[in-house]
Amino acid sequence: MNFALVSLSIPLFTGLLLLMIPRYGGPWVVLSSTLSLAAAVASLVEVVDSGNQAVLLGGWPELLAIRLHLEPINALLLAFTALIQLLVSLYWSRNCRNDGFWALASLLHATLAALWLSGDLFNWYVTLELLSLVSVSMVALAGKDSIKPALNYLFLSLLASLCYLLGVAIIYGRYGVLDFQILSRMTVGDTSTAMAMLLMTLGLMVKGALWPLHLWLPPAHSRAPTAVSALLSALVVKGPLFILTLLWTRMAPMELTDKGGEFLAVMGVFALLVGGWCSFRTPLLKEMVAYSTVAQLGYVMLALGLMLQWQLRETLVALWLFVLAHGLAKTSMFLAAGEMQRIFGNKRVTALRGASQTAPVAMFAFAVAGGSLIGLPPSGGFLAKWLLLEPLFYDLQRWPLAFAVLLSTLVSAAYVFRIVTLAFDRAERGQAPSRDRVSEWLALLPALLVWGMALVSEPLILWLTRVAQ
Amino acid sequence: MSLSWTGILPLAVVLSSLVPGLLIFTLREDQQQLRTFLNLLGAVIKLVLVALMLYGVSQGAVFRFEFPFLPEAGILLHGDALSLQFVSLSSVLWLATTVYAIGYLEGAALKSRFFGYFSLCVSATVGLALAGNLVTFLLFYELLTLATFPLVVHTGTPEALRAGRVYLAYTLGGGALALMGIALLHSIGGTESFTTGGYLAPLMAEHSASLMLAFGLLVAGFGVKAALIPLHGWLPMAMVAPAPVSALLHAVAVVKAGVFGLVRLVYNVYGVDVMDALHLNDPLLWVASATIIYGSLRALTQTNLKKRLAYSTVSQVSYIAFGVGLLGPLAAAGALAHLVHQGLMKVTLFYCAGAFAQTLGVHRVQEMNGLGKRMPATMAAFTVCALGMIGIPPMAGFISKWYLGLGALQVNKEWGLAVLVISALLNAAYFLPLIYRGWFSAPGKEGWPAEKTFQTRLTRLPESHWMLVVPCLFTAMLSLLAGLFAASDLSPLAWGLLIVDREFQP
Repeated sequence: MNFALVSLSIPLFTGLLLLMIPRYGGPWVVLSSTLSLAAAVASLVEVVDSGNQAVLLGGWPELLAIRLHLEPINALLLAFTALIQLLVSLYWSRNCRNDGFWALASLLHATLAALWLSGDLFNWYVTLELLSLVSVSMVALAGKDSIKPALNYLFLSLLASLCYLLGVAIIYGRYGVLDFQILSRMTVGDTSTAMAMLLMTLGLMVKGALWPLHLWLPPAHSRAPTAVSALLSALVVKGPLFILTLLWTRMAPMELTDKGGEFLAVMGVFALLVGGWCSFRTPLLKEMVAYSTVAQLGYVMLALGLMLQWQLRETLVALWLFVLAHGLAKTSMFLAAGEMQRIFGNKRVTALRGASQTAPVAMFAFAVAGGSLIGLPPSGGFLAKWLLLEPLFYDLQRWPLAFAVLLSTLVSAAYVFRIVTLAFDRAERGQAPSRDRVSEWLALLPALLVWGMALVSEPLILWLTRVAQ
Repeated sequence: MSLSWTGILPLAVVLSSLVPGLLIFTLREDQQQLRTFLNLLGAVIKLVLVALMLYGVSQGAVFRFEFPFLPEAGILLHGDALSLQFVSLSSVLWLATTVYAIGYLEGAALKSRFFGYFSLCVSATVGLALAGNLVTFLLFYELLTLATFPLVVHTGTPEALRAGRVYLAYTLGGGALALMGIALLHSIGGTESFTTGGYLAPLMAEHSASLMLAFGLLVAGFGVKAALIPLHGWLPMAMVAPAPVSALLHAVAVVKAGVFGLVRLVYNVYGVDVMDALHLNDPLLWVASATIIYGSLRALTQTNLKKRLAYSTVSQVSYIAFGVGLLGPLAAAGALAHLVHQGLMKVTLFYCAGAFAQTLGVHRVQEMNGLGKRMPATMAAFTVCALGMIGIPPMAGFISKWYLGLGALQVNKEWGLAVLVISALLNAAYFLPLIYRGWFSAPGKEGWPAEKTFQTRLTRLPESHWMLVVPCLFTAMLSLLAGLFAASDLSPLAWGLLIVDREFQP
């Protein structure tokens, strides 16, 4: 547990320090995420060795104290967050022109770490609020263009927070407890619980940009500075999703899971198809990547829905694998897209004509990351899709969903290869644009990691199967 | 994972083109000699390794490389007699095509990218040939799509990009269908390694509907690359690629990957008994027959040489599917021999077409008049292989068609013979005019469309760059030998009979 707390506090203090002394942000954040990553890995090893752990902050008794708890999944997410932070800050320390970024990025890291470690409905509310505030400020870093999307994001986020808070209040009024592990033994399927679950789910769906409550995401993610887009897509949307998953898999009473699962699965399919279609149609490069996030989150909803509706434990493993694979792939894709946007000085997809000749490494990173989003073997996206598909065939009733997954594979292939095909155009360009080779390779790194998951796939899947249950 | 040499060798065969390929990507455009060296080094090492493996298999060694991937479905590379037939074909033709491509692309831009993907493409093909279970097969099947796409769009013209989009739409769609089929089979019976006689027989009683659906999905998935109608649309369009790519796509890599998938599916996954019991072979046979006739008919009407060859591929590759669908031992031997024969002949025809286009600018059938005087050696190679395609004895094509015909009679499907005869007549109708024009017509008065002089005088033969001519002659000679010495122990036919021997008498 101590290692986990260290992993949380390092970025917290780095962030506070950088707020006071905004200098040399890049190296400091790289250092702090490295240390935080090391601590998170140590905590992961610890929790695997000696089982779940919990700590009550400030020495208060249970129910009063802030209770942090550590399970293998939380530790994994902690390490994953630090890793993405490290990758993004390595990339951004070569390009950043804005010192405000570094303090906010560190605070974002700390907030997410707190979210993974919390286990109480109200603490989650606090971390969600913090997460939204930090994210909104980071979107606004891009300047005038991003003010409007940032404000939209803020307002919707506040509305969602209120929704969530109302749900929490109902739960507290009904059961008098907020600790979700205690709640998971108490909940019954009455109207007030159902109402509370509905409100909390809606709030979390807005915050997690789950279809059809995703409307704020594409403008916000596409207007934000590149590194911010990467962090938001890879990590921030996963926060509300994590809470949603825990609420539904552990706390929701049996009577509700069936309906909730069906709802989530259907929304997931729509997200995959509609999000994918929007991604295919949009003329702007980063907006295309942002819509792809909306689509890919559909897989997560589908996995969660299947798990609830049919008690399919395997799909929970698929869900966590999607979170990891999508995080890495999306980091790479946003960094590559940002890099190419910088090279060509144009936000439109059509600017990428011939990018395979003029910016080969960045384009390659984009394509490799896209391969994982499509789910081509042996990438991480494929592993997740395979685990999701397999239980769908056991029962004739679920076959339509299997074909929805097939269709969504084709849709994602369409939006990725729309860009890749353009890149092979041999249209003559003016002078060769200036490239930064290191940045391009740093953009490629997460994409290679997501394909590298194939090397450890079997132990990873078996381990996740063990800890997810 | 064993560390003995028999465990490493299958992996080494795949890596022998993958590693040079990745290195080539990092080279600058002007590092011509290093790139050529790496290309040829990889090709030669692969040939040596494959020869070693052939020797090992003949001595009874078992080559298995295993690596954990999915739970209960690891990555398995496995060298058996069937995979070695395909691996040997690809490694020999890779060497020839590499030499050819170096000559063909002399002076062109973006060669590092081209040869990088070229090597990846061969790695994927070899991996697919060595794949020991369906999951591994799928992995390399998809990698092959990814590696060939940049080659199809290499020229970067609007036409090439359009062909690339169509190619992707077909092949990724096919890949997704194959994934569904494989996941379906995995969910009902697990993924086992390919075995003689298939492994699905125990599931037949309970899951016959699922097995039929999975078969449909997989045939559709593999049929895309095998260019079975109505899934053949990408192939004629992909002709915009440079000639070495077309040669490789048609003779070895893509279409053969699809057909090879069908062979594995029928003999090593479902097995002859299950196929027979569920009546799965009849639809396959009908589709294959229809493709044979349709491809030939379309080839007749093409005026562009490469397009005519493309439709001819559609037709000829279906002979293999046809032989597989007949489910008889003799037909199977014919099909497996045709896998190699068609590869050798078609690669030669494409080399020749590329040499004509690159040297003289000849693209259309009408422009071929009098080619025999200007480029006699290339035209001779073209003639040998075109006659082989028609099936004139004693060429290679005759041998495989003979066995296919005997196979059709063996399983009492006399109408199969009619398909073969009609197709042979159509083949003659679209190949003989080309041969006639080449040797007996006088060249046009206005000269060749675009005659090219090669920069390096030293490397010139009288008719063209030696790197364009020698591969033609080499593969034409191989196809001639495969026909003349079909009865010897080293011929593709003998190897096909050996495989069939093991397959039908377990």
